[in-house]
Amino acid sequence: MAKRSDFLFSKESSHFFLPWICALMVFIATLVLAGGIATHNSLKLWQKSVAESLTVQIPTYNEEGKPREELVYRDIENALMLLRTTPGVLGAIVLNDDQMQDLMTPWLGSDAVVSQLPLPKLIDVSVDAAHPPVLEQLKADLAASVPDAVLDSHRLWLGDLVRFANALLTLIGLILILLFATVAITVVYTTNASLSIQEHILSLVHMLGAQDLYITNRYAWHNFKVALTGSLIGFVLALPIMFGISIFLKSVSGQILQSSLTSVQWCYLVLVPASVALLTFLTTFKTVWKFLRRFL
Amino acid sequence: MPNNENLSPFIAEFNGVSLRYNKGPEILKDINFSLSPGSFHFMTGESGAGKTSLLSLLYLHLEPTKGRVRLLGQAIDTMSRSTKAQVRRQIGVVFQDYHLLNHLNAFDNVALPLRLAGEKETEIKKHVSELLAWVGLEKQIKSYPEELSGGEQQRIAIARAVIHKPTLLLADEPTGNVDDAMAKRLMYLFLELNKLGTTVVVATHNVGLVKNFHFPQLHLADGHLKIIPAADSYSDITNKLFKREEK
Repeated sequence: MAKRSDFLFSKESSHFFLPWICALMVFIATLVLAGGIATHNSLKLWQKSVAESLTVQIPTYNEEGKPREELVYRDIENALMLLRTTPGVLGAIVLNDDQMQDLMTPWLGSDAVVSQLPLPKLIDVSVDAAHPPVLEQLKADLAASVPDAVLDSHRLWLGDLVRFANALLTLIGLILILLFATVAITVVYTTNASLSIQEHILSLVHMLGAQDLYITNRYAWHNFKVALTGSLIGFVLALPIMFGISIFLKSVSGQILQSSLTSVQWCYLVLVPASVALLTFLTTFKTVWKFLRRFL
Repeated sequence: MPNNENLSPFIAEFNGVSLRYNKGPEILKDINFSLSPGSFHFMTGESGAGKTSLLSLLYLHLEPTKGRVRLLGQAIDTMSRSTKAQVRRQIGVVFQDYHLLNHLNAFDNVALPLRLAGEKETEIKKHVSELLAWVGLEKQIKSYPEELSGGEQQRIAIARAVIHKPTLLLADEPTGNVDDAMAKRLMYLFLELNKLGTTVVVATHNVGLVKNFHFPQLHLADGHLKIIPAADSYSDITNKLFKREEK
């Protein structure tokens, strides 16, 4: 005997496509959203580093390309003395060779021998983000006591990077909207195709006294289950790809790209298949409700 | 709340009802009649006279282009979609072309009205099995419509129309594909329901049926309806046919 919920659906229905379309859309949307979240995280990290740190560069070679030797250590000491007495500066440390190596690895690779390169000595300055030092004043003071020192607030290159990241986030948002719109259009199409194939069933059930809400709910829940199954398949398939990309990014970018997600951000990702299923439910509901209006 | 002005004591009441499809000619013209609760009528008329259209108005499949139809006491033009569905649940229809669902077996086709009404599966099983046995289809309970003959499909359609003991039963040529013995048996089923209070309208070409069962006729000709009383219904029709042939 057929189950109570079966009588509205014959085998001819075109629901075959719906789970696979949902799976594909959720697969793409999950990866795109994960990329967006990683970009957002990196953006936050970069903005935080702009707000909370400065770098003072002490050149190790003079303009003629000769080593400055002990002048470097004098400049470092003077710079540290000035920085540690500047309001808004929480601390200042000179990066050692290992730290320099870590810093250069994303750009030069792990095999680069930092000590053999004409790199300046770097003083990492921690700044009170709430009460930062006045940069122009600090620049002037530094120029007076350590004329060769260069104050780098990272704002220039990070500003470009932040603008790029924001543009990328906008693009990702648009792609997600397009993906969801595609799901909605697909649901309308497949539901209408299915309704047309099964019009004789609907017409009969309507004539036997089925309420519009009853028929509409049956269809909407049926499509919801189909879409949820497909969406979960798409989501599960996206996970190993996400982990793969995350591991790859960590290996090539070090700390520059923040590809690990927080638990809340994982919830956002889980919302992708749930949203596609919910969108399918609502779109089906509206489509069937409108279709039934052709019957008296 | 229903508007008192729209309430009617009749199961069905037609006042000045006309029907046309799109911009075509009027199929039904100025139809006026009423069906009292518990009445039994035959609907007669030549092919194309408008019997199926009139039945369609009675089971809320069509709306009149003119006039007013009241069903189960309420005017259909003021009914909400939800009320229309409730009214339809009280109407049993035997369609001329059966309208069985091919993906459901005989049992599930007959069970459809009960399932839509939310009946318990144990009750459904009991009632459907009994009724299918009554119409001689106990062995075909799991057969699909495509595996059944025209007559068997017709009996399933009839069983589905009566399973929920409707207030109004409309049957469009319900005996067209069965032998005389089965036709009589099915008519007795309709009579049993009628005795229990169901109002019955049977559209038929079967002169024998009309002759054997003396009920008033709703006779359609050229889109007009004439009510022929029970006593002389058969002779009236034959006289008319005879006179037409003479001309």
